[in-house]
Amino acid sequence: MKTARRCLVAVGVVVMTYAVLGALTDVDVKIGALIFLAGVLVAHDGLLLPLTIGVGVLVGRHTPRRVQAPVRAALAISFAVTIVALPLVLGRGRTADNPSQLPLHYGRGLLAIYAIIWTTAAVAAGALALRDRRRLATPPDPE
Amino acid sequence: MVRNIGPGVSPDTDPDRQPPGRSLPAALLRRGVTWLRQPLAAPPPALRRGPLKRGVFHSRLRSPTLTSLLGLALAGAFTVCFATGLISHLIQHPPLWFWWPARPVGLYRVTQGMHVATGLASVPLLGAKLWSVYPRLFSWPPARNRAHALERASLAVLVAAGLFQLVSGVLNSSRWYAPMPFFFTAGHYWSAWLAIGALIVHIGMKLPIIRPALTRATPDRTAPGGLNRRGLLATVGAAAGVITLATLGQTVAPLAGVSVLAPRRPRTGPQHLPVNKTAAAAGVRDDPSYRLTVAGPARTVSLSLADLAALPQHTVVLPISCVEGWSSTGTWTGVRLRDLVALAGVDADDAEAYVESREARGRYRATTVPPPHTRDPFTLIALRLGGEPLHPDHGYPARLIAPNRPGVLQTKWVARITARSGS
Repeated sequence: MKTARRCLVAVGVVVMTYAVLGALTDVDVKIGALIFLAGVLVAHDGLLLPLTIGVGVLVGRHTPRRVQAPVRAALAISFAVTIVALPLVLGRGRTADNPSQLPLHYGRGLLAIYAIIWTTAAVAAGALALRDRRRLATPPDPE
Repeated sequence: MVRNIGPGVSPDTDPDRQPPGRSLPAALLRRGVTWLRQPLAAPPPALRRGPLKRGVFHSRLRSPTLTSLLGLALAGAFTVCFATGLISHLIQHPPLWFWWPARPVGLYRVTQGMHVATGLASVPLLGAKLWSVYPRLFSWPPARNRAHALERASLAVLVAAGLFQLVSGVLNSSRWYAPMPFFFTAGHYWSAWLAIGALIVHIGMKLPIIRPALTRATPDRTAPGGLNRRGLLATVGAAAGVITLATLGQTVAPLAGVSVLAPRRPRTGPQHLPVNKTAAAAGVRDDPSYRLTVAGPARTVSLSLADLAALPQHTVVLPISCVEGWSSTGTWTGVRLRDLVALAGVDADDAEAYVESREARGRYRATTVPPPHTRDPFTLIALRLGGEPLHPDHGYPARLIAPNRPGVLQTKWVARITARSGS
């Protein structure tokens, strides 16, 4: 395994060096790419992820235990879809002379997806609650 | 780097005392490794505050098994994106050794559709993966030794490049360029190499954790009732599924009805086909005196629109497949490129054609059609789409349409074709 690991690290370092040299010699890249690279890292690790974890803590404190799993799942899916949908909803890529670009009402589409996610989560939570109640009503098998 | 060695070097790595037969480079390497592995002094404990404290993160869902499973899926997704992206890059900037066929006609449509769909589906995967290892960002001490510091720096590069790829890709497919202070294609390309290199280093470094995590049975330690490992993996899968269904209709037309987040609709646009660059944006106006120049080494011919329409007409059904991930099929009618190349006195079976647009500027105003596509009977200088003369935004009076090529290389408003021998 040691040889395999050394090879992987060596190949990876060569590829990374190629990337850095390539970017440095490409007139189209410029310093802006480096700023963007650092920017997405800081925005994710310093803002987005702490926010997600914070919401998770709130769910742990303020939601009944038996519905926590569907609520967490629905929040996670909604969040991921929002990331993909946000530039479309904002619609900054639209141009006046090209209606074929971003032709849909994306805010409405996102709301429809939220509705499907949360309806599914509610049904799942209801099913879980029902199962728990049945389990409580019928005493466990002595077996 | 090696020259900066302090006094704490152990005697057996000192080149002055090397035993006979051991070479100088080997000794230098040993010295370097020792320097890298020398323990670093831990920062004062008073600095260990906030998330750096022990026990701040307490989700029991996090485990090497969860991280390895997510990492495996993500590595697969990134590999697909890298391979398909590289294909697209090579088609657009072909080195001498590269060869891309004209058939199957829809191959690029599939590879580029996969590129964008896989990238979009990676959004929840990367989010979950980074969440699962977030506490490691605050591990204490920050670096045990220089090798550890280097590994952490390469991890920062991996995370940054991974995020760069997904964020810039999402912005590009929604055509929002203002937040990106660089030319998208170039940044996305070099950052892809950076991400894949850092990923290979990462797998090499973490192999001793990944192997047991995936091969040994590891119990799920989550409390009953909460979200367990299987539940989280299902959630990530569901998120990827929702995103895929919501966007894939931009290239898989039957899904267009459910793809409420598709940046394009395959049937929406002039003549039921989307447009990337309009005639107005390209600065191309209708010119009644339009003539197509076809130049070859032997002779140059100049054809009016009527001359072109008088040549043998052919109808083909070919997709326009955009690098941004959308695609749409059109029924094109026009003159075969190989017939025009033959008019200029070049053997069409072994020729390439340099096709220029009436567009004055723009990165994609001209393209070279390689021999496999030039000789292909499906490659047309199209005059009609769906039976009607081309809409100005689709390249009136004449445009290139060839099988298995990115949309940006399907030159619109063609003004000049230079034919030359392919070999």
